[in-house]
Amino acid sequence: MSEEAPRLLVTGTPPPPLGREFTVIGRPFHRRESYEKVTGEAKYAGDIKLPGMLYAKILRSPHAHAKVVKVDVSKAEALPGIKAILTKDNTPGWCTYWYMIPQKAFPEIVTYQGQEVAAIAAEEIETAQKALELIDVEYEVLPFIIDPKEAMKDDAPLVDNMDGDGVGALFPPSGTRRGNIYGGSPTVLKRGDGEKGFREADLVIEEEFSTPPQHHATVQTRTCVAYWDGEKLTVWESCQGVWQPKEQLARSLGLHPDQVRVIVRYQGGGFGSKAGAQRFSHYASKLSIVTGRPVRLELTRAEEFVSHPRRQVGSFYIKTGVKRDGTLTAMFGRAIFNIGSGGLFSAFGKEFMGIGIGKAFYLYKCPNAYFEQYGVYTHTQYTGPMRSPQEILAVFAVESHMDRIAAELKMDPYKFRLKNYSEYGDQEKKIPYSRKSLDKCMELVTQAIGWERRNELRKLNEGSTRKKGIGMADFIYYGVGLYPYHAEAEVFIKSDGSIILHAGIVDIGTGSATILPMIAAEELGVNLEDVNIIYGDTESTRYAPASNAARVTAEMGPAVLQAAAEAREKLFARAAQLLHAKVEDLQSKNGVIYAKTEPSRTISFKDTCKTLGPDEIIVGRGSRAPNPDKPKFATFGSQAAEVEVDTETGEVRILKIALAFDFGRAINPNFCIQQSHGGVVMGVACALFEEGINDRKTGVLLNANFGQYRTASALDLPEIVAFNVEAEDPYFAYSAKGGGESSNASTHAAIRNAVCHALGVWIYELPLTPDKILNALAKKTSD
Amino acid sequence: MRARNNSLISRPECHKKLSLNVNKTLYEVEVAAHHTLAEVLREQLGLTGTKIGCNRAECGSCTVLLDGQPVYSCTILAVEAARKNITTIEGLKVHGKLHPIQEAFIANDALQCGYCIPGMILSVKALLDVNQNPTAEDVKHAIAGNYCRCGSQPNIVVAALAAAKMMKEGR
Repeated sequence: MSEEAPRLLVTGTPPPPLGREFTVIGRPFHRRESYEKVTGEAKYAGDIKLPGMLYAKILRSPHAHAKVVKVDVSKAEALPGIKAILTKDNTPGWCTYWYMIPQKAFPEIVTYQGQEVAAIAAEEIETAQKALELIDVEYEVLPFIIDPKEAMKDDAPLVDNMDGDGVGALFPPSGTRRGNIYGGSPTVLKRGDGEKGFREADLVIEEEFSTPPQHHATVQTRTCVAYWDGEKLTVWESCQGVWQPKEQLARSLGLHPDQVRVIVRYQGGGFGSKAGAQRFSHYASKLSIVTGRPVRLELTRAEEFVSHPRRQVGSFYIKTGVKRDGTLTAMFGRAIFNIGSGGLFSAFGKEFMGIGIGKAFYLYKCPNAYFEQYGVYTHTQYTGPMRSPQEILAVFAVESHMDRIAAELKMDPYKFRLKNYSEYGDQEKKIPYSRKSLDKCMELVTQAIGWERRNELRKLNEGSTRKKGIGMADFIYYGVGLYPYHAEAEVFIKSDGSIILHAGIVDIGTGSATILPMIAAEELGVNLEDVNIIYGDTESTRYAPASNAARVTAEMGPAVLQAAAEAREKLFARAAQLLHAKVEDLQSKNGVIYAKTEPSRTISFKDTCKTLGPDEIIVGRGSRAPNPDKPKFATFGSQAAEVEVDTETGEVRILKIALAFDFGRAINPNFCIQQSHGGVVMGVACALFEEGINDRKTGVLLNANFGQYRTASALDLPEIVAFNVEAEDPYFAYSAKGGGESSNASTHAAIRNAVCHALGVWIYELPLTPDKILNALAKKTSD
Repeated sequence: MRARNNSLISRPECHKKLSLNVNKTLYEVEVAAHHTLAEVLREQLGLTGTKIGCNRAECGSCTVLLDGQPVYSCTILAVEAARKNITTIEGLKVHGKLHPIQEAFIANDALQCGYCIPGMILSVKALLDVNQNPTAEDVKHAIAGNYCRCGSQPNIVVAALAAAKMMKEGR
């Protein structure tokens, strides 16, 4: 434990360090809701059936860009069992909200295939389905554009984006929109003097990389049940937070937030796409208000594919100057992100837009760097965060590029990365990170993959049609915790000895509903089974962040620790009287309170609680403070891959992935390893298979199903070796910074670098499908 | 331009009464001819442990056992399942005691969001019922038709092998 002043990121005075060995933290407890999940008893939103429940369906635009001239619902309304139909005609000006910015609910001009045109509620799902087909919509089809580089041109058709160009957003764009360019200009990150840096270089290398559209493809489609009882709206949601949809729905429907209750007990995968209420739950809620009946809305798989905010896609031009000894002198990068019809960029503006280039800007030591990032509107579905938001493009570009530079310099890519290792979070002002152990991560993964075999493999490959290769790639995830840093927790202790943690989070499967009680139990000095948690419900909890951006442990962790510490101190005041000791001399562990100086003087936690009156409750509160400007906060990781490529078929087989993740400390080590597994599984699919294909002739998504949008199955998985790289970081609850987000951030680049090592060719695009491999090999032969 | 599609409107309604043998209990139901087994299990019998993820036999969330064989219940019509033994996730517990596969899934953290897990467990059961000594490869093949986006497959393989051992030892 640190001897310095406590630095835990909480409001008010941080509690003192624990001052004893851990008894709960670091132990591999199983998820508390495991039983419900293996028995099928866990009720997800779509499993809820209320008396009198109606079924809803959404009519969606089949066109990428069209004017909705007329919506005739007369035939549909005549169907027996139809209870309500919403269109632009009976909901003028109505907006859904996402990240608290308005999006037109039924736009006059649709800007992507799948955008909402009408919403129906009916007694039977089949009636609603029939009504979809009876609504007569007259569209005036307009020219569309799906390629961001084309969309940037002056004569490109304009995208009438769904969210008013970010007006009213949390961080509105600093400039006005120009053509289809968000904010009129790129977001820029820069340091030093680029021109000087390139003059000093012995070698300048420039390359361009691109990544395809990636869909979240959560196994549960977006589903909710909404019920307006005349006074209050209750929504059983499938999103990643409860407090965010509460505010969004209230704003959209003209209700007071106190009139909205959101419940998410179980949720079938989000990966960023369900951070906050989605558009669909607004329609279900409004239909419930209009009909006064509960309404269930469950998207089909095809709807899910076309209507969710998929990952931004695009291209990354990168140019680097380097000295013969491998020292970077200058870097220039230009990222063009296709942001579709709008979405998260418009909510978080340029602040968020810098995230993509930041992954490249901060990873390496280079005195002169200039990176710019464009957001470009197109007539494709809106976009939002997906596990490792924007890193997929940026890390792919910078980590592929580093291998190329190393090759040109005839340096080992691992040594080249170490040579340019950056200790500082702000290189100009020399502001360090609170903790950075990326070097340790790199050491672990290169050892695990057998990096020293790299040269030998090249020789073994000669004359063989099955060529093996080894590659690596690093990642950085900066900003541990996010604006508005609003996270609150409460711990209640009752006279019967029960301890209840109230935390307004959703456990999306990462184990947060087990991790947060572990933090509380450790700080209170009780066993994990003594702590209950109330979560996934806005009733009886206080504001908490959604489970996205690896922020639950990073933001809620300190709040929970503080709440538990405060409750413990109040209970210690009781115990001090009983033990005739001073409060500051007391310590607790495994449910026993004892005097530090005389550990045989003890009283149990439960016996101390018995001295509380029957209605007396001890309450401890905790609240997260914002991250300070100094030091900088980030998590880091490194991945290494070994692959085998069949040069006759172009097929890539991934033999092994090693991953080391530096996130401070693991509260539950097995959960963290599992997050790394999850990242690798997703990363493998990103490297080899995933690509949403919009038809160039119509703009529609051609592969809106799991058969044609391929993800990884058990048979695609390599051997995975994952390491938790732990170190003290006193700003966070027991040093835990969160390891859920970024474990897929460099899998694809490590695989790509391994493939390029195996074949001796450079590939610039994902996914690494056989055609790309064979084309690259053919090009090499013809060169 | 006007977009219209009335193709499904004239679909004939045809209802049928039948008995479904689910988890050794007979249920008398009246279903439409086009109702899938998954729909009937979930909406009529309230057995919501069977999930629907894609409704076109691509994700495996709806996996149930039909006479011991794993099937995608989203593409089996309810009328086809009459007179067959249907096992859903709700049928695995015996006298309130978890099946060894369920215990192994818990003990090996072989789940994250949990949505795919009922289907995964039934696919593993179908394997272990016919193969007492599976290899990791056997398990991977058995669950290859079950989609898990969280990436729990590595732990599921470990859990399935642990369950095989438990079942062999008669636990």
